[in-house]
Amino acid sequence: MSARLARAASSLAVIAVLLAAWELAVGYGLLKAYQFPPPSKIARGFAELSLTGFPTGVSLWAHTGVTIWRVLQGYVAAILLAVPLGLLIGALPVLDKLSAPLIVFCRSVATLSLLPLVIVWFGAGELTKVVLIGYGCFWTMLSNVIAGVRYVDPVLVRAARSFGLQGPELYREVVLPAALPRIFAGARMALGVGFMVIVGAEMIGTIQGLGALIMEARTFYRSEITIVGMLVIGLLGFLISSGLAGLERLLMPWASNLDQVRR
Amino acid sequence: MSASTIRSNDIALGVIGTLAVIMLWEAAVRTGVIDRGIFPSPSLAIAAATERLTARQLGENLSWSLARVFSGFLLGALAGVVVGILAGWYRRFGVVVSPLVELLRPIPPLAWIPLAIIWFGLGEPSKFFIIFLGAFFPVVTAAYQGMRGIDPMLLRAGQTMGLSGVPLLLRVAIPAAAPDLATGLRIGWGLSFGVLVAAELIAADRGLGYMIINERNTGGSVGVIIVGILLIGALNLLTDAAIGVAIRHWVGRWHGS
Amino acid sequence: MSRAGNVSMREPDATPQAGRSARPPFIRIEAVHKVFAARQGGELKVLDSIDLDIAENEFVSLIGRSGCGKTTLLNIIAGLDAATSGRIAIGDRPVTGPGQGQGVVFQQHALFPWLTALGNVSFGFRKAGLPREERRERTLELLRLVGLEAAANKYPREMSGGMQQRVSIARALALDPQILLMDEPFGALDELTRIELQQELLRIWQARRKTVVFVTHSIDEALTLSDRIVLLAPNPGRIQRIFEVPMPRPRSRTEPAFNALYDEIWSELSS
Repeated sequence: MSARLARAASSLAVIAVLLAAWELAVGYGLLKAYQFPPPSKIARGFAELSLTGFPTGVSLWAHTGVTIWRVLQGYVAAILLAVPLGLLIGALPVLDKLSAPLIVFCRSVATLSLLPLVIVWFGAGELTKVVLIGYGCFWTMLSNVIAGVRYVDPVLVRAARSFGLQGPELYREVVLPAALPRIFAGARMALGVGFMVIVGAEMIGTIQGLGALIMEARTFYRSEITIVGMLVIGLLGFLISSGLAGLERLLMPWASNLDQVRR
Repeated sequence: MSASTIRSNDIALGVIGTLAVIMLWEAAVRTGVIDRGIFPSPSLAIAAATERLTARQLGENLSWSLARVFSGFLLGALAGVVVGILAGWYRRFGVVVSPLVELLRPIPPLAWIPLAIIWFGLGEPSKFFIIFLGAFFPVVTAAYQGMRGIDPMLLRAGQTMGLSGVPLLLRVAIPAAAPDLATGLRIGWGLSFGVLVAAELIAADRGLGYMIINERNTGGSVGVIIVGILLIGALNLLTDAAIGVAIRHWVGRWHGS
Repeated sequence: MSRAGNVSMREPDATPQAGRSARPPFIRIEAVHKVFAARQGGELKVLDSIDLDIAENEFVSLIGRSGCGKTTLLNIIAGLDAATSGRIAIGDRPVTGPGQGQGVVFQQHALFPWLTALGNVSFGFRKAGLPREERRERTLELLRLVGLEAAANKYPREMSGGMQQRVSIARALALDPQILLMDEPFGALDELTRIELQQELLRIWQARRKTVVFVTHSIDEALTLSDRIVLLAPNPGRIQRIFEVPMPRPRSRTEPAFNALYDEIWSELSS
């Protein structure tokens, strides 16, 4: 326990030292304040963003909310489609083999490269962003659901069959629970993907949302606001992934090594 | 059924499935179910693309994209490998570097774009930087984890053979960490590629990403956009497969008990 | 530091040494203590006052229950660990670290997975600075010695447990070590393979004339292989008794002398 505390303390110390050095460097003119806004300026920017907002009226929380809402919509839609489809494909090896190259290809398409196409279809509004996020999340989730079902430990399947389980019952009672860790890992990965997509998608043609915020701030030379935005994005990403990891542990205490289940 | 028969059956099924979808797409467009102005079929898209683009234009954009992603990835991966290995091997260095990396890692590479522009302007260096970041983080993490996860028995074995310090690092530790490193490099490449496209969409005047968004902005043909998208997807797939083959050859041979 | 007398084996009722007392010690372990810092503070004494002399070309086994420090002692001789106090010398030189002529074979084979059998064994020849052809020749020779010439180009993951351990032994021998330290090398193998490898080891030992310190938890194994058996007691680790095993090899479990000694060791172990 104390080893962990020591490590956390030393990490904090390193960061604190760096921040202090940064502040001093700008103070002494070694670093330009525009390119490297000092921590003090960043803190002030944070206050401004939270209270007055940037552009005026749109607070940090509003931006964050917009971003989260967009991601949520796309993500949930993707999950709702991907899970049943994935379970179906995973259950029937023929389907899996027929669809495999297609799924791999669609997954390889850079989601953001679809932006121009989706704009042609749906205009430059909210739907476009949601669709984009949905696309990215969908293929990642689908692949993982299929893999989760297909790569269940054959020993477990054999054991279940020795108890007389077969067909749909076998699938329900043994394959599905065994596939859950991988499915959850897929959900985690998909959210990560969705998050990455939205940040990029918001940089084109919108003024609300965290991605838009950091781009807009730059146009107005408010570099400290850009950095606040970046940190919030990072924090959000971190909270999401650790939140999901915690949820996994809660729901599946029996899953031994969740981190093994990757790729 | 022999293993090779099963495998060729699988491939055949895969091909059938893909062809079926493509043909369905074609049919839907030809019969008017899907408006050809909105979502042209592959044949129409390619036709439109050949009309609007010259081979030279395509080649130019393609080379720009590839050059960017290769150089950015190379440097990012190299930096990631060096930093990750050193941080994993020398504890004190790790203590200093680790919190910094962990702090910055959750920030998606794309979120660095405005800052990159602030630092480097609108030209090549800012895009290079973003792609560099895209490669750096997954690789440094994988390298670090790989080093920390080395079986201590192997290090002892190396020591009993008279190795210590840098030779031990080079001849035993790094090969032992190679599998994790390889996976990290593969992931880093995929990420770099995705970042490249996005960066070119957002702020570039050359390259595949630019090509497709420019087409949209100048009210051009959807076919070109689709061809661009498919091309990027195919490129991603091919390069990833190539890396997979390389990994299987260099690492897959001996890895796994 | 003075030595209290020159006989360092505690055997109040030892069997006669069958002509060994005249041989000078090759490995000297004097008053070795090993203390570890315990997790909740305080100390853990793992080895207490170990005094042991091992003659050249002797085959000595260390046996005892878990916690008796036999692996720790082996690691100290190997130079992988340092004694808290006391002295260890091999030949005339004190042990300051690994790679000084100690060949080690671990229980988990610790072969480098990225090298073939050939690669692993020739790794041991690294230091010798031999020209490539000669290195290859000597490597093949060693693989032949352990009966694995045919598997030279296999990777560890393609080999069975027995094969892996054989390669480990060959690799340790490549160093041309003065002593061979073996930490339960056959512990993870099945019975038949174990018996086979025991015989192999004896053959190699007799052919190559090495000093061997062998850690095992099997009295059977110790009796089959050793000239002397050192029984260690736990908490803290110390020498409880040393047994001479004067029987000629190969030894059979059916011999009365074997069984008598077995019973004696067993009762000593369980007391």
